Formats: sequence, structure tokens, C-alpha cells
Amino acid sequence: MIKIQLVDDERNILSALRRLLKPEGWEVHTYDNVEEALGSLKDHEYAVIISDFRMPTADGVTYLQFAKQRQPDAVRLVLSAYGDRESMIKAINQAEVHRYLSKPWEDHEVISAIRSAIDLYQLKKENQRLRRENERQKDMIRAREEELLRLETENPGITRVQRDTDGSVLLSDDD
Amino acid sequence: MSNASAPQSEQELLNARLEQANQQLLQSEKLAAIGQLAAGVAHEINNPVGYVYSNLQTLDNYLNDLFRLTEAVDNARCIEDLRQIKQNIDYDFLKDDLRDLLAESREGIERVKTIIAAMKDFSHIEEEEFKPADLHRGIETTLNVVNNELKYKAEVVREFGDLPEVECIISQINQVIMNLLVNAAHAIETFGRITIRTRQKGSTVVVEVQDTGRGISPEHRHRIFEPFFTTKPVGKGTGLGLSLSFNIIEKHQGTLDVESAPGEGTCFRITLPIVHPDTDNE
Repeated sequence: MIKIQLVDDERNILSALRRLLKPEGWEVHTYDNVEEALGSLKDHEYAVIISDFRMPTADGVTYLQFAKQRQPDAVRLVLSAYGDRESMIKAINQAEVHRYLSKPWEDHEVISAIRSAIDLYQLKKENQRLRRENERQKDMIRAREEELLRLETENPGITRVQRDTDGSVLLSDDD
Repeated sequence: MSNASAPQSEQELLNARLEQANQQLLQSEKLAAIGQLAAGVAHEINNPVGYVYSNLQTLDNYLNDLFRLTEAVDNARCIEDLRQIKQNIDYDFLKDDLRDLLAESREGIERVKTIIAAMKDFSHIEEEEFKPADLHRGIETTLNVVNNELKYKAEVVREFGDLPEVECIISQINQVIMNLLVNAAHAIETFGRITIRTRQKGSTVVVEVQDTGRGISPEHRHRIFEPFFTTKPVGKGTGLGLSLSFNIIEKHQGTLDVESAPGEGTCFRITLPIVHPDTDNE
């Protein structure tokens, strides 16, 4: 199940987003304060984290930077009513957000931004899975090679077979 | 005697020009202050507009679902079909959520209304004469306008006493209070408290704006009312806020005092006569 975290100090924004995301079938967690949102990062693995920019106690970029450390794979988005240059640059450079969305928003824009974020998350996950798979297979091959090497040193020639032109294995009792 | 009257009139002319220059400065500081606030107010408005707008789009989807049900009344072969549709559109959820959606959206529109009304109340550009005014209402209006500057920096505590109506130019008093509130918020490093206190004292009223910010260092204390003196970074302050506030209060025949302890906070105290002495004479 894809989990999405929404953080905004305005409860009505959270309700509106919940309504918007309900038909998509994602598991949506909403937090109206940064402290609880931070706490939940320990219990849930999120695909996408969407945060407001201006909030009491900590701004959205600071929160997303924390979130990046805790869950580097979660794709980060900002949804802000405060669209000045400085905050956008901070969001992009410091929190490395995937998208910077502004309030008021168009529903379809938010949905497509989240979908693209989920795609990115799944690609990352798939990439990691394949890399692990690859490592595992390499390890297996290495283990086999080592075993063969061991057999060869113990019984020289045991790993090699002689064949004739038809491909039949030739056995000889030289030793 | 005739010699004396010439410089006299020249002085009057200069005084008039000074007064005019002061007026212009006052107006431009007001515009600068409003400009600074505009970004904050945009944020305040974009939030409610954001969710109301999104809710309307959701409402559109809900309505389509409901119409699907009502239109099926004519076409459905049996009641079972209708039940099926009702279940498909998650009718029970929809019914509950519609109410919440409308209530929240109404709340959003109310907030936008309050902000717009406060902006209008606050500016009152047409009112330039002394009139009895409710200072508490002025303070509330100003708080609404600067809410966005304050809410992330401080908890606002109101300790209002009983106040009679005070003869003043309320838009100018609002401007002074706004300056004091914004300064208080800027003085607070992380999160603090701003207390607004009012009381009547004899034939005057006292308004105090106290913060738990960093305080004013002693070497700056005597300079804070100087025009263009600011410790804020470039672009953050014009350095005119307090000097104009001082002028405004002086024009009202009141006083603007400050007490500050570095590291503990600052308290600005406005004292205003309830009846403006000039109008009293008329």
C-alpha cells in the first residue's frame, strides 16, 4: 500500500486534500504539526511527503530536510501559499523537493504531481531491489568459483574434463 | 514691527511645508508598510481560497454521483439497482462529508471576508480627522491584518481594560499599533509572547505592547525614534516605523515611551488623552 504523508498547520487544507486523494486509494496520513509528523516517520514508510511551507515552530523546508535524512527514498513536495523566490530556492536546493506546488491549487495538478512522485519512488525501490538481486547473484557466483578453486587445489584437474571431438567425456586413470 | 512680521510669515510658510513633507512621509511609510504586509496577507488569503477552491472541485464530483442516483430513479428496473448505485457512490460517506465540506468552505470564506474587512478598516485613508473611536476595535482590526506576521512568532495575549472612546485619527493609531506589533514579532527569535494591555488612567488611556524578544541594547535606545534608524537587515525595515509612530502620537498630544531589558523583552507604552485638547477648545 502506497503511504502518503501530508503536513499543514491548517486543518481545513488537510481535509480538502484528504477528499481529493480518497478516490486514488492511497493510504493518506495527515498531520497539523511538525513534531507529530516527525514522530510518524519512525512508524511508517512513506512514498510521498507533502508539506506546507510556513508553519509555526519549523518551516516546511526544515521539516523536509529532516524527512530526507530519515526517509531518503520518500519523494518530497511543497504545497505553499507563500510563493516567493527565496522559499522556492531553499526548497529546491536544501530539501531537494520534486515539485513546488502553490495554493490555491488545481486538483488535477496535485494528483498528477503525486502520481509522478509515486512513479519516482517506485523506480527508486525497483532499482534498489534489482541492485540487491544483482549483488546476491554475484555473491552466489563468487561462492561457486571459490568452491571450484578449492576443489582444484585439493584435487588438481578435478574441475576440468577432457572431451573428444564428439563431446563425450574422456576418463583416463593416469594417476 | 513690520520687519518682524515678514520672517514670521516666512516661518509659517516653512512650517506649513514641513507639515506637508511630514504628511507625505507618513503616507509613504503607510504604503510601504502595506506593501510589506501584502505578501503576508496573500498567504493568509491563499490558504482559505486554496481549500475552498479544492472543495468546490470535490463538490462537483459529489454532485455527479448524487445525480447518477437521482437520475437512476427513472431508469432503474428495480429498487435493488438503486441500492447498488447508492452503495457504489459510497452514499453514507458522501452525506457526512458534504456537510463538513460546506462548513469548512464557509469558514474559509468567512476568513477571507474578515481579512478584507480588516484591510479596509485598517487603511481608512479618507479619515484624517479626530473622531471618537473604539481603540479595542482598532487593535482587533490591526491584529487581523498582521496575523500572518505574528502567528508563527508569538502567542498574542490581550489584557484589555475598560476604555472609553478616544478622540483620535484611528487609522493613524492603527498604524502605530501595527508598527509596534510587527517590531515585537521581529524582535522574537523563535517563539514568544506579545501582550497587548489597555487601561484608562485619569483623563488618558494607556496601550502597551510588550514582547518577550531580544530587547533593545542600551546604545540603540536613544536612537530608535530617529528617522531611518534600523537594526533590521536591508529590505526588512524602512527605519521610519517608530519615528513616524512617535510623530503620530505627538500629534495626538500623547506620549510614546519604551522600557527594554536586553534578552528579556521590550514594552512600548502609548498614552493618549481621551479628549484631544485642540478639539476641546473648539
